Amino acid sequence: MTKTIQIEHQENRDVDILRIGGELNIHSAYILEQSILNLMEKGRYKYVVNFENIEKLASAGLGMFMARIEEIREANGDIKFSNLSKKVYHVFDLLDFPTLYDIFDEEEEAVSAFR
Amino acid sequence: MKKSSQKTTNSKSQFQLRTILETSRLLIESRDTDLILDNLLDITMGKMLVPRGAVLLYEPDQRAYKVTRVKGKATVQEGDQITLPWKSNQYQQNVIDPAAYDIPHPELFIGKNRGLFFNLKTSSHHLGYLYLGRKGDDGVLNDQEIEFVESLSIISAAAISNSMMFSEMRAVNRRLDRRVNELNTLFDLSKDFSMTVNPKEIAGTFKFALLAHLLVRKFFLLFLINDESPKIMSSSGLTRMPTAKERRDIFDLPKEILRVQPHQKKSIPFLNENDIAILVALQLQGDKIAVVGVSEKANHQPLSESNFNFLQSLGNLAVLSIQKTILLKEHIEKERLEKELVIAQNIQKGLYPGTIPKIPTLSVAAKNIPSQHVGGDYYDIVYSPDGNPIIAIADVTGKGFSAALLMANLQSMLHVLLPVPISLSEATGRINNLIFQNTPSDKFITFFWAKYFHQENRLRYINAGHNPPLLIRNGSDTAEQLDEGGMILGVMSTSTPYKETDVTLRTGDILVCYTDGVTECFDKNGVEYGEERLTETIMSVRDESPEEILDEIVDQVNRFSNNRLSDDLTLIVIKVT
Repeated sequence: MTKTIQIEHQENRDVDILRIGGELNIHSAYILEQSILNLMEKGRYKYVVNFENIEKLASAGLGMFMARIEEIREANGDIKFSNLSKKVYHVFDLLDFPTLYDIFDEEEEAVSAFR
Repeated sequence: MKKSSQKTTNSKSQFQLRTILETSRLLIESRDTDLILDNLLDITMGKMLVPRGAVLLYEPDQRAYKVTRVKGKATVQEGDQITLPWKSNQYQQNVIDPAAYDIPHPELFIGKNRGLFFNLKTSSHHLGYLYLGRKGDDGVLNDQEIEFVESLSIISAAAISNSMMFSEMRAVNRRLDRRVNELNTLFDLSKDFSMTVNPKEIAGTFKFALLAHLLVRKFFLLFLINDESPKIMSSSGLTRMPTAKERRDIFDLPKEILRVQPHQKKSIPFLNENDIAILVALQLQGDKIAVVGVSEKANHQPLSESNFNFLQSLGNLAVLSIQKTILLKEHIEKERLEKELVIAQNIQKGLYPGTIPKIPTLSVAAKNIPSQHVGGDYYDIVYSPDGNPIIAIADVTGKGFSAALLMANLQSMLHVLLPVPISLSEATGRINNLIFQNTPSDKFITFFWAKYFHQENRLRYINAGHNPPLLIRNGSDTAEQLDEGGMILGVMSTSTPYKETDVTLRTGDILVCYTDGVTECFDKNGVEYGEERLTETIMSVRDESPEEILDEIVDQVNRFSNNRLSDDLTLIVIKVT
């Protein structure tokens, strides 16, 4: 089973930037979920997920964001997305994700939206 | 005067023509209904100095008009549905003046409603009306102005129709895209499911896919395994887990797709606390095997028919895969157990005498048929160090492994005590004490054993609660029962010694030792085989060899019970030569 996701993590004050690359599917979603859970355990709830290097996105892989968003928002945090390619945005759009999540062209915009 | 008026009219109509030209260019290029409607209303109201205007679009499904735009002091609001005092297809004219037709003017604005309805229509469809009230100074529109609005309405109608078609196509495309996306997920997941043997993993994958496609935050999968009470196999966003009773109640609720009703939320608090809105039953070969619960969509849109279709398709796929992995696991477990049983069976076989030792003046046949792989019956024929053989038979309560373990225990005790120079009675007392101390209170052993002093043809026996062996004397028509001895083994510690009894055997005598599997088998009417039939069977073949007598008994018992032996069966047949 392919679990080929790369996750690059960077802290920007209270915001955690997760730059993900490769493939986000149902299996690699668990890996990304674990990264987020680890941060949640440390009491950090503000995330920018940068999709710039994602080559392949399976819609089931986005379910993980639904599973955690309520808890994160209750803790005054959020998940914001940035750098979605046209293809990736199309998947987000089909699932109506833009009605629930903030999506930005650039990572910095997403980060500053938290300030 | 006339000339200048002519000039004014000319320049005015030129101006209007230019407006129409510009507007039509704008409209033809636009695919945005909102923009078209805004333009139509702004231009007509602005140019005509009309303070009250509206656009009413016809909704064929509702047979009503939707107030799509309204400007001025209106009694209706945008989004309202209204009906007009005439039918949508009653007037084909481009302009309808209710006053001229003597029909009541629809109430749209505060105060007097006196205006014109400009038909927004294409060559085939009536789309609605542009409504313009009177001018600000209460003046009516003149012919030229009406003509101008008419032209603009015709162009706008064409543009609205185009843009509506365009958005309809876009909606269809989007629906198709979604369907394709859902099918892709189904396809991907069916591949994934077939590659895993872990039901939790399948349930987790199902959860993520569902959360993403349905845009819900709360989810649970209630799964029924082996008719036990349904269990939560996967969940997301729940404030707490449902109680056992709630799980059963929830499982019973949906037949197919159920919108949870207020009274159901009241009787099952878990549903209420977690905003569970929909319950879907998932079936396998016609049986409900799982129930999925989800909350409403997180973006407050209603869950659609196609959402339910997706949920059911994916759910059935997941349930099938989960069931498959459970069956596979059970199968592997069963095979493993089967292998162990065969090993245990071989070990137990080793506990019975392999070949029966030769005994002077006796001819012996013995057999054990366990009802399962292993059983609780025991028999032994073994020489003690004083040169006399021991014949033993026993039956442990129960069947299978637990009985076999105790049987093995008894076998080892007997063999350990064999070389110890003590009497049969004392040995029995010691065995009883050990069994009593080492076994649970509901486990007993019925036990018969005897030592054969072959030089004197004397059999010394002790019967500890076992089915009395039958001694059929040569020439006699009745069977003697060897029933002396004492308490069944394992009930209490030995207080009074077990009693030894001696019988002298003579040539032609037959001794049959058996366990209750022989006598306590039943025919199809529930009638027991019993001791009497056993005696008759022995009598009928009393002149045959012990092997033949034994085979005949087994045959008869099998025939009587229609080959359905419910208990372990053991026989020792001895004939004095």
